[in-house]
Amino acid sequence: MAQRELKFESPSFFKRLKGMLGVDFYRLFHTPMYYIFLAIAAIIPAMILGTSGMENPQTGEIAPQLYTNVWHIIAADSPLYVVNSIAEYANMNMVFIFGGIMVSIFIGHDYKSGYVKQLFTTHAKKQDYMLSKVIVGAFSMACMCITYLIGAVVAGLLTGVSFEVNVMSLVCAIVGKIIMSLGWASLYTFLNIIFRKYFGISIASSFFFGTGILIIGAAAILGNNSLLNIFLYGSSVYACLSANILTVLVCFVCSIVWAVIYTALGTRILSKSDVY
Amino acid sequence: MNAIEIKNLSKNFGSKQAVCSLDMTVPKGAIYGFIGENGSGKSTTEKMICGLIHPDGGSIKLFGRDYTDADVRAKVGVLIESPGCFPNYSVWNNMKLQAANLNIKNADTEIQRVLKMVRMEGAAGNKYKNCSLGMKQRIGIAMALLGKSDLLVLDEPINGLDADGMRIMREVLCDLGENHGCTILISSHILGELEKIATHYGIIRGGKMIKEMTAEELEESCPTYVALKTKDINRAKANLACKYSRVEEDEAGYIRVYDAKEPEEIVTYLYENGILINEITTAKIGLEEYYIDLMKEGR
Repeated sequence: MAQRELKFESPSFFKRLKGMLGVDFYRLFHTPMYYIFLAIAAIIPAMILGTSGMENPQTGEIAPQLYTNVWHIIAADSPLYVVNSIAEYANMNMVFIFGGIMVSIFIGHDYKSGYVKQLFTTHAKKQDYMLSKVIVGAFSMACMCITYLIGAVVAGLLTGVSFEVNVMSLVCAIVGKIIMSLGWASLYTFLNIIFRKYFGISIASSFFFGTGILIIGAAAILGNNSLLNIFLYGSSVYACLSANILTVLVCFVCSIVWAVIYTALGTRILSKSDVY
Repeated sequence: MNAIEIKNLSKNFGSKQAVCSLDMTVPKGAIYGFIGENGSGKSTTEKMICGLIHPDGGSIKLFGRDYTDADVRAKVGVLIESPGCFPNYSVWNNMKLQAANLNIKNADTEIQRVLKMVRMEGAAGNKYKNCSLGMKQRIGIAMALLGKSDLLVLDEPINGLDADGMRIMREVLCDLGENHGCTILISSHILGELEKIATHYGIIRGGKMIKEMTAEELEESCPTYVALKTKDINRAKANLACKYSRVEEDEAGYIRVYDAKEPEEIVTYLYENGILINEITTAKIGLEEYYIDLMKEGR
């Protein structure tokens, strides 16, 4: 019988993460759903801008003009935690709802296919898994933010609404929202780890938290209170058309802190519970 | 050094005790047949060895190290139930993804090597979902072999395979054990197949290891017997019982004589007593019968 000499090698954290990220990005770019969500992110602002102010051919009534400035579909002029109309709610933050659903499907597929079983029987660590999913989720949401922006600009050009804006504030708002993708991705990854055996609940919970309904509810009691910026939805709203470098910094800190918290909690849950 | 050494392993699922104070030793280089009824704790034990579920108590050592060590985990290949592959990707791409997770250098060469070992080199371009069950199980073994695994944990890899699939799987596993120095822990209900390849056995019942032995010990525990068929079965049995200490009738209507040296002596003896034999053969108790008898003893 052949005898083989045993050699034990521990791959470094970066090597492990690189391998796992390679797999997750490959999967992301080879998942039709990713491109569908990118397209949805582009179509939604175009649809909202395009349909507002349109004439109903049957009644002749003209739908109310939701936006007079194209950038309002990206963010409000000032942080509006209390929402009074759909126009105040419908902006780039909606991307985080689609992103949540996408992350749920992505992680759900890991369990459905048995990939996690294949993964966690190797030297892969739970922390690597969490980090990899958060990074890939954040990347996909950041891409959706960009396609959303493109969709809004194209629709704005077609509908002829105003493009007037403080460019610096607009850039800060968009950068702030893109930065928030990291925090949102960590929340969704965490939720999907908790509900990993219940795919439907994973999607429902991602949708529920993604709408920011809890913060909107809290704002109804507290008013437009800047304390709400400590939450992901609060900071996402804070990245508005009056944003500045401080706003970006707030978004950065909020996103990183929540990403660390959720990644640590998710890692702990995965480490303490049975995987498969 | 033992490839697997388990001491006092326990696992409960709520109030159900799945594994209870289990001890198990798998020597390095062994093909260890892990046998037990459904729900006896085989899969739970294997999942604990693989790190998929956490034990409630006890210790698991792989090659002398704690089973959670990342460096020892890299030496373990696993096929639990079915391979964890993405159905819409090709076999090759699924292998590439696993190779990336394992940080394997020269992944293409390594994938070609393992696919050749399991005789799947021609199917690398096939979509995983289009592969037959036998192919999928061999892909699972190829995946488990990526990175030159020293220990394979295979949970019922031959279930559902056709005769040819079983033969190929048997040859692959024997080759891995004999020529590549792999230690293999394999659970299966198909004991006839297991008997052809295993060098060691562990029998589990109700979450407890009731017997561990080598193939040689099994051989010694399984007596040879003379089986015969006659029309005068009761008289033959009575006569044989006068001369031999263990005479039994099996379910197929054969009389088994366990302590006869040669069939000829039985033929002569019964002929002298006026009993004609229709059929006579020598046989040996196999793993399956040994296992069934052992299970009966415990009930």
